[in-house]
Amino acid sequence: MTALRLTWLLLKKDLRIAARSREMLGFTLLFAVLCVLVFAFGFLQEGTAAEGYVPGVLWVTLLFSSSVSLLRLFAAEEEGGTLELVSATSAGTVPLFVSKVLVQLLFTGLVTVVVLPMVLLFFNAELRGIGPIAASLLLGLIGQATVGTLCSALLVHVRLREVLLPLVLYPTVAPLLIGGVKVTALALAGAEGTRDWLTLMLVFDLLFVVASPWLHGRALAR
Amino acid sequence: MQTSPTADALRVPIRRPVAALLLLAIGLVTIEVALWWIATRTPSDIVLGLSQKIFYFHVGSAFAMLLGLSAASIMSLVDLLRPDDRADALARSFLEVGVVFSLCLLTSGPLWARKAWGMYWTWEPRLTLSLLVTLLAISVIALRSMSGDSHTGRRVGAAMAVMAAPASYLIHVAVKWWGGNHPQVIQGGGIQSADMRIAFWLAVVGLLTFASVLVVTRYRDIRLQQRAQALRLTLSAHQLRQRRA
Repeated sequence: MTALRLTWLLLKKDLRIAARSREMLGFTLLFAVLCVLVFAFGFLQEGTAAEGYVPGVLWVTLLFSSSVSLLRLFAAEEEGGTLELVSATSAGTVPLFVSKVLVQLLFTGLVTVVVLPMVLLFFNAELRGIGPIAASLLLGLIGQATVGTLCSALLVHVRLREVLLPLVLYPTVAPLLIGGVKVTALALAGAEGTRDWLTLMLVFDLLFVVASPWLHGRALAR
Repeated sequence: MQTSPTADALRVPIRRPVAALLLLAIGLVTIEVALWWIATRTPSDIVLGLSQKIFYFHVGSAFAMLLGLSAASIMSLVDLLRPDDRADALARSFLEVGVVFSLCLLTSGPLWARKAWGMYWTWEPRLTLSLLVTLLAISVIALRSMSGDSHTGRRVGAAMAVMAAPASYLIHVAVKWWGGNHPQVIQGGGIQSADMRIAFWLAVVGLLTFASVLVVTRYRDIRLQQRAQALRLTLSAHQLRQRRA
């Protein structure tokens, strides 16, 4: 079986599970909405401008809700022993990893589609500079999904993984968070200078898109 | 033929820690001399007064942390490429000692900053980087201690430590662009006074020697643990054979 076909099969399986149960996606979306609400309670005060909080609230909500879906990302594979099975194929563990990144990307993408308008609405901001914001969201989500999937996969057998995942994930994706917040803030203000930050995020993504499947296979293959 | 990890671990020697004791003596003497030199020979800063003298041990700790954590990532990569108990023991020792010195760094820095910048903490590039990298290193240590002796835990910990290296570099770039006002003594003009230079190098050599004592001691400790584990395995295998016979 070719690697591409195996990836597609694994992805199709996950999509089917997601479509049938809808629990994971539903809970993640609910969590993201609650996150925005909690931020609104925490930051908004009568008489102060709310617009400045938009980049921070948006990106932190995306980061937090991505870790919610990451925690269960490999649950079914652990129960079914998928890793052992794909290790035995000629394609190795890369298809499993790639399919999981794509699933995670789909989840966080859907969350973004819901959260972005919500944040803009609640915090009275106008959407400007859609190009850089879209680019930063794309790069940010790809990077978060890749590193997140790696961390989630590595921690599958570890006790207290729910606690460890954010501990490892948040410092690692700090460049994406900083870059994303900066690009969003600059774009919303109609300012220049987003290109450098986007390049940084792109470099981060390229590095981890190459390194993560390798590290995953190296650490977990039998 | 490759020897099994157990057979390899059984041959861990039990020796007097001569090297460690020797290094400890050198390190302690150097640190004492450095302290004396800093107290009596170096000038007080015109603006900062005495608090400037934190600089010597602060930068020494920074060197020890940087070397320790980089060495930990490199040894983890070695262990991932060719599994070896010694590489693993070294990686863990370097990581733990690196964190000890990063804690020294994160304590001495704010003390100085309170005098110099008027506040204990700013979200300045190097501070942010040090904090994030320390958190990463602590979580790798936590991961290792939570997964016990398991083979997977060891490989996962190594993968995390390897992942932390490029991440740290990018965190460095990101937080640098984010904003900054950290003094650039070493890259900038360097230290002007000869007495200060001597104090600086005494502190650096002293702290690095002391750091290596800690690494060597911890390494020996982990190796002996590995040996004890191998002995336990051999013993239970032996008992199993006897019961069968």
